[in-house]
Amino acid sequence: MRRLALLLAALALLAAGCGKGSSSDEAGRLVIAVDVPVTGSPYVAQTIRQGVELATSNLNGGGGVRVGSKSYLIKVKLYDNHLSARTAVEDARRAIDAGAAAIVTDGTGVDATWQLAKQAGVSIAITHDGGTGLVDAEARPNVFRIAPTNHGIAFRYAEYLIPKKLKVALLSDDSGYGREGAADIGRAFASNPEAVALKLTLPAGQTDLTPQILRARRSGATALLVWGQPPTIASALSASRSIGWQVPVYTPPTGSDPFIRQQLADHPEWVDGLTFAGGRLTAEVGTGPFVNFQSQYEATYGADPVGVKNSEGQAIVQPPEFAMYSYDFVHVLLAAITHADSIEPGKITAALDQVTTQGANGDERGFNEHNHEGVVDDDVYFARFHDMTYQPVQDDPLSATLPLIPQTRSQ
Amino acid sequence: MSVLEQTAVELRRAAGEARERWRTPAWLALAALAIAAAIPFLSLPGVRVDALADTAYLALAATALGLTVGSAGLPSLGTGAFMAIGAFTSALLVARSGWPLEPAVLAGTAAALVAGVISGGVVRLQRAFVAVSTWLLAWLVWLFLLAFPSVSGGSQGLILPPRSLLGLDATPTVHFEVALALTALMALAVAAVRRGAPGLELSALRQAPALATSLGVRLAWRRLGAFSATAAVAGLAGGLSVQLQAVADPVSYDPFLSFKLLVAVLLGGAAATLGPAAGVIVLGLIELAAGPLARALQLPLERFDTAVAALLLVFVLAFGGQGVLPWALRRLRPETPPQRRPARPPPSEPGPNEPVLRATGLRKAYGGVIAVDDFSLELRRGETAALIGPNGSGKTTALRLISGAEPADAGAIEMDGVEVTLAPTAERVRLGIARTLQATAAFRELTALEDVLVGRAVRRRHGGLVRSALATPNARREQEASETAALEALAIVGLSTAADVPTPELTTSQQRLVALAAALATEPQVLLVDEVAAGAGPEELGLVADAIDRIRERGIAVLVVEHNMRLVRRVADRVLVLGAGTVLAEGSAAEVASSGVVRQAYLGTARL
Repeated sequence: MRRLALLLAALALLAAGCGKGSSSDEAGRLVIAVDVPVTGSPYVAQTIRQGVELATSNLNGGGGVRVGSKSYLIKVKLYDNHLSARTAVEDARRAIDAGAAAIVTDGTGVDATWQLAKQAGVSIAITHDGGTGLVDAEARPNVFRIAPTNHGIAFRYAEYLIPKKLKVALLSDDSGYGREGAADIGRAFASNPEAVALKLTLPAGQTDLTPQILRARRSGATALLVWGQPPTIASALSASRSIGWQVPVYTPPTGSDPFIRQQLADHPEWVDGLTFAGGRLTAEVGTGPFVNFQSQYEATYGADPVGVKNSEGQAIVQPPEFAMYSYDFVHVLLAAITHADSIEPGKITAALDQVTTQGANGDERGFNEHNHEGVVDDDVYFARFHDMTYQPVQDDPLSATLPLIPQTRSQ
Repeated sequence: MSVLEQTAVELRRAAGEARERWRTPAWLALAALAIAAAIPFLSLPGVRVDALADTAYLALAATALGLTVGSAGLPSLGTGAFMAIGAFTSALLVARSGWPLEPAVLAGTAAALVAGVISGGVVRLQRAFVAVSTWLLAWLVWLFLLAFPSVSGGSQGLILPPRSLLGLDATPTVHFEVALALTALMALAVAAVRRGAPGLELSALRQAPALATSLGVRLAWRRLGAFSATAAVAGLAGGLSVQLQAVADPVSYDPFLSFKLLVAVLLGGAAATLGPAAGVIVLGLIELAAGPLARALQLPLERFDTAVAALLLVFVLAFGGQGVLPWALRRLRPETPPQRRPARPPPSEPGPNEPVLRATGLRKAYGGVIAVDDFSLELRRGETAALIGPNGSGKTTALRLISGAEPADAGAIEMDGVEVTLAPTAERVRLGIARTLQATAAFRELTALEDVLVGRAVRRRHGGLVRSALATPNARREQEASETAALEALAIVGLSTAADVPTPELTTSQQRLVALAAALATEPQVLLVDEVAAGAGPEELGLVADAIDRIRERGIAVLVVEHNMRLVRRVADRVLVLGAGTVLAEGSAAEVASSGVVRQAYLGTARL
């Protein structure tokens, strides 16, 4: 009986600590961890994951990556951070335990995970969140980003909106993404306080933002700049339109998230006029490279359906913007592995500062010791929705030169 | 003897006591601890050390909660709130003020302790209201965190920079070992408290609060001690676990954390020291199984594990509610009572026959009904007086006024020359006024000896929660002395062979004698005995009378409230007859029996 009890106690203690199946690296395989908000922001999670998987499947199809005399196939391990920094920490620990060479993330919890990853020599690649404080080549040498920065977006917004003589209500939610954005947009508008009607923090996850929107209207605002997660933007749009306030609404890249259009599908007119800032999809060499990438992406996964139709009944699809960024990072990472000629995470991280590749849209992607940003700061354009699709605005010099990316599919 | 030599002697003595108490469950616990401590170093596939450490911190908080739930009987649903207070206090100090981890965690512990003391008013409430109040507390703390993102860091939480822990890199393994060690120490402390005076008194308060209070146990003080200690330990667990998590996230401290902790305690067994930790492990297993099960049943994952745990808890409660660990231990080790040599009554040392208690002009009214009016009484050492009268004449009320169970509207009470009119019960017991209750009141889960030990509450000087938890030499010596005194008290009432018999297994008369012994253990100068012979047969009546005589021989003044005139005639030196709250007559039993006033007002035409 005593032995049985001992055995049971040991088994129970072991079982209490068992995870959801993370395992150590298998021989001949190189692990890339993808830590994304599968249940918090499904579209962002899916597009980042598929970008990584597309790149790795291409490389595995070509025999994998060669280090010394050995070839390694790349294995992608998916983790769901639930948009929670705490979960991101747990995921980072599992990814490190699983021997991951790098962690590709939307940016959730990087403030908390980068030191853990640094201790293990593992690099972190942000492919969505543009928070200025997240990336610092000197203080956080293992954190890289291929995504438009908040800093760039904020200053582009300032130079775009201030000449319009708008009184802008700067609304941000209290998510990490929102707080980072609020800081950057605050700095961008700091020298023109007359352009700011109000600064207000919105509770992330609150579905009814009518009180906050009414307060913005009372402040005399003639435009809203809502920096937050897609649900926050959808709620802000819904609140403003439902009280009959046809105020122009500007957002960061999250404004293009399909969630917003899905949420407002019953009121497509509420989406009309929504303007978002994003990284330029096409390069100076033209649309060719991106269209090729999009074709390859859609051939593998199919087009990403938004889940809504336009007034002509055509299904709307989402261009794979964030997939492009994660796709590009995998290529940079593999260039670094080849350069380091090692699969040791620390050496790979160091080599990431030494390599450059051509991105899916034809732009150069690479980092150095002083710059860990893979997207040029001011390479930001604005697009406005109409009839559930968006097109570059014509009242901004850079945006006006950009071509329209097709977003409809006939049924 | 130098301090070092004295320490060595005490340590040897403590080791000896530990060896005597070492049984199979202790071996099992030690083996489980050793296995658990080795797990992080075994590189076992699928084992997440950070999850283990998190579980161990929960076990720490749950073990402390066992004291509040198991011993004090307070179903607290607010422990998660104290974890949150500890977590966010230490997180703010580390993240915003750059404090090192250890002082930040201590500050978190202190903050949780203060919160526990402030919210400790709930301990006076009935159990259902304790649950509701603490559940509201859990919600309040959580809503506060959500409403003040400047404190909690908003939906992303506060990011904590890495800190060393006890000079080591605070890796999950270090956290796990620290959490395990703290849980083991906490379990030892809880076991020591349960064996010592606080555990006994808490248990007595849980079973029969009126009886325990009449013996001088301070209800609010003891319960507040347990509640606050649990809060402090929960704060400690929260402060450390948040550093492990690297993020102080309000979502992690929602009210369901408190619910989960209480479920763990009840599931594992609140009465067993390691029951709550076992409950946490059971919940961990349920969490592991819940995911695949929910997917198989195509049910939503959200809170599925909590639902399964709640269902399991319903079964546990339906089958007696003792929890998994006590059930398992009973099968491992049938309990055998200790072999004890019967004690002898100590030699009596009667003092001078001088007045010891003086009550003057006592009055008590309930609305328009006057229960006691102008009641005066003087008792001398070594004297037995009887207070008789028809039902409703105010006998028990007079006793309650003298013992402090109720305040008098008017009049004065002096004990040995000290004015005690406004003193609370515990203070009067300390000054030497003890009382037994009218009903057959006993602690249903205690042995006769433990029952009597409750009466030692007011005589203890080293029986506090902390000293008992640390099992200091003074606390251990005092416990031994208390046991000796309790055994002697049992011997005085003629129950020296029944010390280890559970009180409910004794006859009604024996239970009343145990109550007498418990009152005697308070070292009274005045003993107020309320209807001790009710329903007793002739033989039992003789035993009770002998016991009262032996008590009187020790120089204790005894005031008996009694209907049984045989007993009154046998033991009373003096009889006071009460009618409508007023003393109608006073004298020997024969004198009272022949009083016309008494016959008229109370006895009618019957004979004494």
